[in-house]
Amino acid sequence: MAGAIIENMSTKKLVIVGVTLLLFQALAFMVGGLIAPGPTSAIEYLATKCVDGIKHRQESKWLMPWGPQQCEKLQNFEEAMAKRIEANNIVFAVHIPMPGNEMSPWFQFILVILQLDIMFKMNNQIEEGAVVTIDVSLAYRDDLFSEWTEMAHSFEHRNLNCNFTAAKTIENEGRQYDCDALPFMEVGSVAHKYYLINIRLPVNERKKINIGIGEIRDIRLVGIHQNGGFTKVWFAMKTFLTPSILIIMIWYWRRITLMTRPPVLLEKVIFALGISMTFINIPVEWFSVGFNWTWMLLFGDIRQGIFYSMLLSFWIIFCGEHLMDQSERNRFSVYWKQVGPIVFGSFCLFIFDMCERGVQLTNPFYSIWASDIGTELAMSFIIVAGICACLYFLFLCFMVFQVFRNISGKRTSLPAMSKARRLHYEGLIFRFKFLMLVSLLILDVLVLMICFVCVGDGGATSGEDIQLTTTITHADGPTEIYKMTGKEAQE
Amino acid sequence: MREDHVLRCVLMLCCALLSASASNWLYLAKLSSVGSIRDEETCERLRGLIQRQVQICKRSVEVMDAVRRGAQLAIDECQFQFRNRRWNCSTLETMPVFGKVVTQGTREAAFVYAISAASVAFAVTRACSSGELEKCGCDHNVHGVSPEGFQWSGCSDNIAYGVAFSQSFVDVRERGKGQASSRALMNLHNNEAGRKAILSHMRVECKCHGVSGSCEVKTCWKAMPPFRKVGNIIKEKFDGATEVEQHKVGSTKVLVPRNSQFKPHTDEDLVYLEPSPDFCDFDPRTPGMLGTVGRQCNRTSKAIDGCELMCCGRGFQTQEVEVVDRCSCKFHWCCYVKCKQCRKMVEIHTCR
Repeated sequence: MAGAIIENMSTKKLVIVGVTLLLFQALAFMVGGLIAPGPTSAIEYLATKCVDGIKHRQESKWLMPWGPQQCEKLQNFEEAMAKRIEANNIVFAVHIPMPGNEMSPWFQFILVILQLDIMFKMNNQIEEGAVVTIDVSLAYRDDLFSEWTEMAHSFEHRNLNCNFTAAKTIENEGRQYDCDALPFMEVGSVAHKYYLINIRLPVNERKKINIGIGEIRDIRLVGIHQNGGFTKVWFAMKTFLTPSILIIMIWYWRRITLMTRPPVLLEKVIFALGISMTFINIPVEWFSVGFNWTWMLLFGDIRQGIFYSMLLSFWIIFCGEHLMDQSERNRFSVYWKQVGPIVFGSFCLFIFDMCERGVQLTNPFYSIWASDIGTELAMSFIIVAGICACLYFLFLCFMVFQVFRNISGKRTSLPAMSKARRLHYEGLIFRFKFLMLVSLLILDVLVLMICFVCVGDGGATSGEDIQLTTTITHADGPTEIYKMTGKEAQE
Repeated sequence: MREDHVLRCVLMLCCALLSASASNWLYLAKLSSVGSIRDEETCERLRGLIQRQVQICKRSVEVMDAVRRGAQLAIDECQFQFRNRRWNCSTLETMPVFGKVVTQGTREAAFVYAISAASVAFAVTRACSSGELEKCGCDHNVHGVSPEGFQWSGCSDNIAYGVAFSQSFVDVRERGKGQASSRALMNLHNNEAGRKAILSHMRVECKCHGVSGSCEVKTCWKAMPPFRKVGNIIKEKFDGATEVEQHKVGSTKVLVPRNSQFKPHTDEDLVYLEPSPDFCDFDPRTPGMLGTVGRQCNRTSKAIDGCELMCCGRGFQTQEVEVVDRCSCKFHWCCYVKCKQCRKMVEIHTCR
């Protein structure tokens, strides 16, 4: 045991550190539960059906659903039928946000989901493998009276995935299909106050465009953004945490360099973990309030990816360095077998993320899930990453098992040792076991919380609060424990 | 001037009392001539509203178009759900829209009240999400603590506003009459049951949007069921409606099932006070009671749409008619149908 950093700490200090950390976590929980609102909110927009007359085209090609320059509206398509308006002249207009509100840079992103309300008609059913082609454009403006500026325009294809739960008989005409929500748009920064989406569903019989998609009654969009209040609290916590972690880290490294021996691997890994944690914590998101940086989402993903792979590697090395099997490790290359899957898995996820969010930088309507090949590609990346995660987990479990086995082996040889030596070893083993259990517990809680957030419907306030606090604490909590204990152990 | 005002109030009150419990505001659906309801003066001219509804109309003029669409929706849905029954929800051009059929506390009245309360909540919520109304969910912040509202914590669900509006607008008739009458209690209960048919069938939809689309961050929202589904639910409740009578518990009056063997009704069930007439014959004294003479029926069915039951045993006549039907049609998703005309012979049975 060349490192011996955590084990040398006195019990009193360990308890103090533990309690302080718990208090910090409790504080984060309180902030999350009492001050901050839920992390995101969803607003449902019902698209207004506008008539795109040829005479209006000269004035402005943007159609507004409400307000002073609102378009010529249709309540339903029977009206359009009566007025002999064709599908190509109908525009679905959605204004984000609702009247009387403004968007703000604090929202960080807008994610929009498309839902089609399609009515069942005996002789106009959705065909097998139907694809909707949407001609969609996005515009923005910053005050209520200026002209709209185009932000993006694209032709997109989306696979309709609908099923009809009732029997397909004439009796059930007029019921709706159950259609899956379709990914629609993702904008990585909210730099403008008002956004306008115009959707067209052009029909071309010769090219088989938008044929056999059933009778569309309505288009609904759901806009999801991060709540401004959440963003503010989150930034505040980040800003508060960063300097403290930075100071601890510098102090820790100074202490290590002051020692006569060169730093051992575990110390280096802890330091690296500290760096990646600082990297994820540095509140660069402040810039998104002032600048229109759409790549912020992607950048955030990358930072999180680096941090997680660092954290996973740390766990492996932490266990490996405590094997107590007298063989000299202390080199990073020894762990290539375990770290390899982590690196490879993160790389897969990175490629996937570049394909999704990377492309969205140029075309906000792009989605890898929209096409069949894209879906297969995305799924294969995710499956490979999942296999890597399983491999990693197996390695980790095996290592933990080895550690515990070696410890009990040591224990049998304890009575033969001198009293001072035995006490030393006993304390060491006790504390390692304690730390191991605590970290396993935290790992469990982390997994449980993620599951809870996934399973719970999230509509409940308590769910939201927990979601918030996990976002803020789950990554930092356990690592902080490691770091702090590691540092304290030097004394 | 003041006397005039008092007189008008008295007149209004009389009118309100005379028109008893009919859901007269449904008449809005028939007022296509008024055009869009834009200003407060139009509110005065709307027939079928009681004074307090006119006040609500003036206070929130922008909502009234949605209310009118709601009324139309209620009538359409009622006619769809009752298309095979003896009373097929036919409307009159006069007030009240359904004639006298719904003035008694029958099952049918219970259905009409429930579907109309639900339709107003539905239509107003829809208007909210299409941005027609400014006073919707986004007006009030969710937690009620922050001044910044929308920007701090987002909006509350539009359905809350829709339901609240339906409560204030539709229920106002019954609330005014003092809680004495059992009919008012029945109407209030059925109105609420109609709204519950929407509220308890909201679909929860979710989207995961964490790192790489993982469920680390997940947002859920509630979506209204399609109105056809709401209609089906209320129709089911109509089929299983409970006959009730008024009882006094302490100082409050409550409705309890007439047959004490039955399970007490829940908030979502429909209740009625008196059994329905058979709706078989035309009754000139009861407007809206059109009878089933001349109605089409299904010869093979044993249910209420079968000729046996529909024609009340009077028998039916069978005609063979040539029907020009559309066939091998080509459709677009909207507004375009190209069909061939097919002729076929169909047997039509009509009640004597």
